Amino acid sequence: MLNNSLPDVAPVKAVDGLVGWGRGSSIWPMTFGIACCAIEMMAVYAATFDLDRFGAGVPRATPRQSDLIIVPGTVNAKMAVRVRRLYDQMAEPRYVIAMGACVCGGGPYVKWGYNTVKGVHKVIPVDIFVPGCPPRPEALMDGILKLKEKISREAVFARRGKTAREMEGRYAQAPAAAPGRGAGA
Amino acid sequence: MEALELYTVDERDDLYTEELKLNLGPQHPSTHGVLRVELKMDGEIITASRCDIGYLHRCAEKIGENVSYLQFTPYTDRMDYLAACNNELAWSLAVEKLLGVEAPERAQWLRVIVCELNRIASHLIAFGTYGIDMGANTPFFYAFREREAVMALLERPSGARMLYNYVRPGGVAHDIDESWLSDVLAFCGEFEKRWAEYNQLLTTNRIFIGRTANVGVLPRDMALAWGCTGPVLRGSGVKWDLRRDVPYLWPYDEIEFDVPVGEGTHGTLGDCWDRYWVRMREMMESIRIIRQACARVPSGDFMDKAMVRMYKSPLKPGKGEVYMRCENPRGELGFYIVSDGGTSPLRCRARGPSFCNLSVLDALLPGCMIADGVAVIGSLDIVLGEVDR
Amino acid sequence: MNEDALHARLAAAVPGVGVLDSSVKDPFVVVEPGALVAALTFLRDDPACGMEMLHNVTAVERPEAMEVVYHVCSLSQHHSLTVKVRMPRPEGGTHDTWIPEVPSVAGVYASADWHEREQWDLLGVRFTGHPDLRRILLPPEWKGHPLRKDYVYPGEHGGIPLELDAVPLYERGSDEPPPEPHPPRPPGTPLVQPPAPFSSRPVAAGGRTAEPGAGGGEPH
Repeated sequence: MLNNSLPDVAPVKAVDGLVGWGRGSSIWPMTFGIACCAIEMMAVYAATFDLDRFGAGVPRATPRQSDLIIVPGTVNAKMAVRVRRLYDQMAEPRYVIAMGACVCGGGPYVKWGYNTVKGVHKVIPVDIFVPGCPPRPEALMDGILKLKEKISREAVFARRGKTAREMEGRYAQAPAAAPGRGAGA
Repeated sequence: MEALELYTVDERDDLYTEELKLNLGPQHPSTHGVLRVELKMDGEIITASRCDIGYLHRCAEKIGENVSYLQFTPYTDRMDYLAACNNELAWSLAVEKLLGVEAPERAQWLRVIVCELNRIASHLIAFGTYGIDMGANTPFFYAFREREAVMALLERPSGARMLYNYVRPGGVAHDIDESWLSDVLAFCGEFEKRWAEYNQLLTTNRIFIGRTANVGVLPRDMALAWGCTGPVLRGSGVKWDLRRDVPYLWPYDEIEFDVPVGEGTHGTLGDCWDRYWVRMREMMESIRIIRQACARVPSGDFMDKAMVRMYKSPLKPGKGEVYMRCENPRGELGFYIVSDGGTSPLRCRARGPSFCNLSVLDALLPGCMIADGVAVIGSLDIVLGEVDR
Repeated sequence: MNEDALHARLAAAVPGVGVLDSSVKDPFVVVEPGALVAALTFLRDDPACGMEMLHNVTAVERPEAMEVVYHVCSLSQHHSLTVKVRMPRPEGGTHDTWIPEVPSVAGVYASADWHEREQWDLLGVRFTGHPDLRRILLPPEWKGHPLRKDYVYPGEHGGIPLELDAVPLYERGSDEPPPEPHPPRPPGTPLVQPPAPFSSRPVAAGGRTAEPGAGGGEPH
């Protein structure tokens, strides 16, 4: 009701900044590991790289309690259905980090993989892409810090640009001539 | 179904019960990856289970038919991503057998050191995540501290922390620097002290023993019939290790090491504790192997000179078929390559040890409680990259 | 024993066993499909051969035939053998028309269960007598056998885009209409009655219901 409807003045911006700082400093990711990148994600949670100091070290096993889904590892046709379902179960505000070359754009399996999805952004909307095969733990930490920065820029109460509902209206119509749709097979 | 007798089921006429269908995975902290198990349960006890795999099927065998032999080496890394060098070794040995070349002596000894370091790293993850499965979060952090040391050592010759692309057909990719061997020996000394700490954390822990002893008993005949290899087979008392019995690298013949087997110390032979203890002792045997190998590394080439010339254009082995088996941390990895003379194999089949180890799960789970089921899955130590390829 | 001695023992005991082919790097024996189960049973049960473990089952598609290769190994005797079955390709046998059939050895070695399912899934070799032959790695409703040489890559599967430049799901918009909103409850309407307590439910003999429906290959 108050979301994105207040005028964009200094007090509202200050509240926005506070909420954004709060949200960004306690991002709760979901324990979701698919493949090799998951091991580097586990290394980020562990003691040497320690994600907890950024407030993001409370991984939740259920999507309903988590803010962030890090997708580490190749998504194939069978898994894409489940990734989509997990994303749909998350409560807003929710964020997605695509970790690894496979979910950024297909990775090593882009050319000959018959059932790999060439990038998880084809299934769920992604906020941050972290490339690498696998990305170093420092790279994933950098991605999470960039996500924190992105969250702090979000407008929670102030109206900046189009509202979420107007953006929804743009996405509700299927594009008239979608390239690549129905081609092949 | 002997385990079912430990837990009595209340059958009363006025008690209404129903069979429960529970879905474990593919997103679950304890399934060690994207494994899905459909469970039929009677209260807390599993009555039937069915594994559903394929959530990480990445078309590795089709890729193998379309890329060259050297280009496929990084894909073998990504199958068992916790023991990357061992996979590369199996692939490289298969290609060398097809070509009829042999890696030089320095490369062989370096391969032994690198593969055994990788075995330690892989067993450390098995140890750390097994603690988390049981509800003990501390071993995970200790295991990853040691794993960082191993990855730092392996990063120096290969350039990567986890998926090395280091062992290639003909030898290894790069040479080591002068202080690498002494640093590896320093790590060995440190690790022996830390290993004693791990035993205090889990091995002699009464709760851990209570959770894993007499759970998931795998009899010898069942293990052989289902094709289980590695610590799963050795935990059932079968003293079979390819490094000792069918040495695929000749340095293993010249190194002294023991093959630990399960003895039923805290419960029945072949239970989860036996498999766990086999992995722990294998880490110490790997330290022993590394120490002996570091003393034996000669100077010389790290890559066969004929292979360096052959690598100028894509490899073209003649017609042939080879099957090469290697002892990975999880079991025996087999590569079956069929070549028809082209630059890519005609058929490139990877027999993953975790694929066969996991197939025994449907026979092991019925009769266990759901928490014991998690202990059994953890004790099989599977990697889904290898199960699904 | 080396492969020649193993082959000699096998050929003497089981009819339908071919010669040992050592021209390629690893020697192999070709057996008739009808003699496969007998040959592997002999290799497993004979004390001198003692092949306790079936290590690998692979299907190989060649231009002229489909081969199924079995690698058996012995832990007690430290030897191994490769056994092959060949099914020649009929005239015009393509990916859609040709499904070769081989007897299943899942009754001889339990590990063959999953290996044969994988070869059915990826290469389309039907193993007759297999207890549960269905897809193992690919989704159950997948069409085709991908490792065949004339396999055509699909562009999408069940709405999930598999191509490189396909349009993302969330930009296409949902195909289903939005759900109808609940009509408001008129004032004065009582709340819904709570469900009946358990004691009034019918109880079958033994306190259990009948086995619910098999649930088949439904993954969800």
